[in-house]
Amino acid sequence: MSIVKRTWTVNGTSVAIRAPAGRRLLDLLREDLGLIGSKESCGEGECGACTVIIDDEPVVSCLVPVGQLPDGTDILTIEGIEKKRAGRLLRQAYVECGAVQCGFCIPGMVVGSYALLRKNPRPSAQAIRAGLAGNLCRCTGYAKIIAAVKLAAARLAGRRK
Amino acid sequence: MKTTEHIDIRCPRTLAEALRLQADERTRGTLLAGGTDLMVQWASGVPTPVRATSVWNLPEISAIEVCADCLEIGAGVTHAFLVDCTQVHRHLPALAAAAATVGAAQIQARGTLGGNAANASPAGDTAPALLVTGGSVVLASVSGTREVPLDRFWTAYRRIDARPDEIIVAFRLPKKGKAQERFRKIGTRRAQAISKVMAASRILVEKGRIQSVAIALGSIAPTPVRLSEVEALLAGQKPTPALIDEAEKLAQASVRPIADIRSTAEYRRWASGRLVRAALENL
Repeated sequence: MSIVKRTWTVNGTSVAIRAPAGRRLLDLLREDLGLIGSKESCGEGECGACTVIIDDEPVVSCLVPVGQLPDGTDILTIEGIEKKRAGRLLRQAYVECGAVQCGFCIPGMVVGSYALLRKNPRPSAQAIRAGLAGNLCRCTGYAKIIAAVKLAAARLAGRRK
Repeated sequence: MKTTEHIDIRCPRTLAEALRLQADERTRGTLLAGGTDLMVQWASGVPTPVRATSVWNLPEISAIEVCADCLEIGAGVTHAFLVDCTQVHRHLPALAAAAATVGAAQIQARGTLGGNAANASPAGDTAPALLVTGGSVVLASVSGTREVPLDRFWTAYRRIDARPDEIIVAFRLPKKGKAQERFRKIGTRRAQAISKVMAASRILVEKGRIQSVAIALGSIAPTPVRLSEVEALLAGQKPTPALIDEAEKLAQASVRPIADIRSTAEYRRWASGRLVRAALENL
């Protein structure tokens, strides 16, 4: 078994890791680093509950072996996003719009929303649907989630002026 | 619990290093790119390989080069990169459209063109768009490179023309020029759904006649396929409503789809004809 030693930036902090190259990033985040905000739901890349941002791209951490992430990789999880202004605005908007029911999909949904707003700060409803197509909610549906992302986007844009 | 921890994944930093690992049976591993197919299989409890060789993020295979007549796309280029690349949209629009239908944002950020081709699923989203370019795959090993035409690359169900010591490094894809390209995927849901049937086409109409035509379908045979009988019917003809009717019927007669969990053979046969019609109307 290949063990890899790497130094990454996780939520803005330098972190040294040592793990089997085949270990899933999701397991490393949750079990080794204690970052349990990222959830495992399907474990096969369909549902988006384990979404994190690696070097500015949203990815499902259940499908990423840690060996593939070189030194210097920048990882942002829900724990890092909630400390950012866009993350706080998203959280507030999700609450106000009633977008959360059981909540299990929500960390991934917020990470997906954050990644979407980074690329497209004023997305249409259609763009939000497309951007969050890889995040599944089985409780309630998507109308309130889409409304929450729109509200957060409007507030983000408003405060920049 | 799902895990892939027991698999010995080697992560070389250069293509040369990866080729050396693959050259020797004792160090050779299953090639792993973005992991969007293999990590799913490996975590599902099926027998897994002992070793894997990562080809993710190798600089030599991660770029797009624009040549006079073709685009040379590195095998490690992701679907997200294809979707964002203006050169791909301009010269290979069917491929850009196909890449945009792969999974959703998270899968597009990790899945690669080389991985999609090597996985060799008959439902691989990019395969029909690659086929209609008439281009080729470039394979490398420690002893050099060779080029395989795409229409001979997928040899049987889940089989490709590649030796165990070879790595797919690039795709040489002729630009569409004045031809029109189209892509259409039919699935249960627009995102995160494997196709029931899909089609790509590249057709050049000049002086009222079809000067060149390539139509490829996915999910209707053991491999992605060109519809050579339909292409032969259309070549040199005027794209009249009667000819389009005939092409639709011939497409339905010439495909041999199967029924599976995603669709019935009957629906796939009918939809194949409709997709050929959609490729030909309003050219």
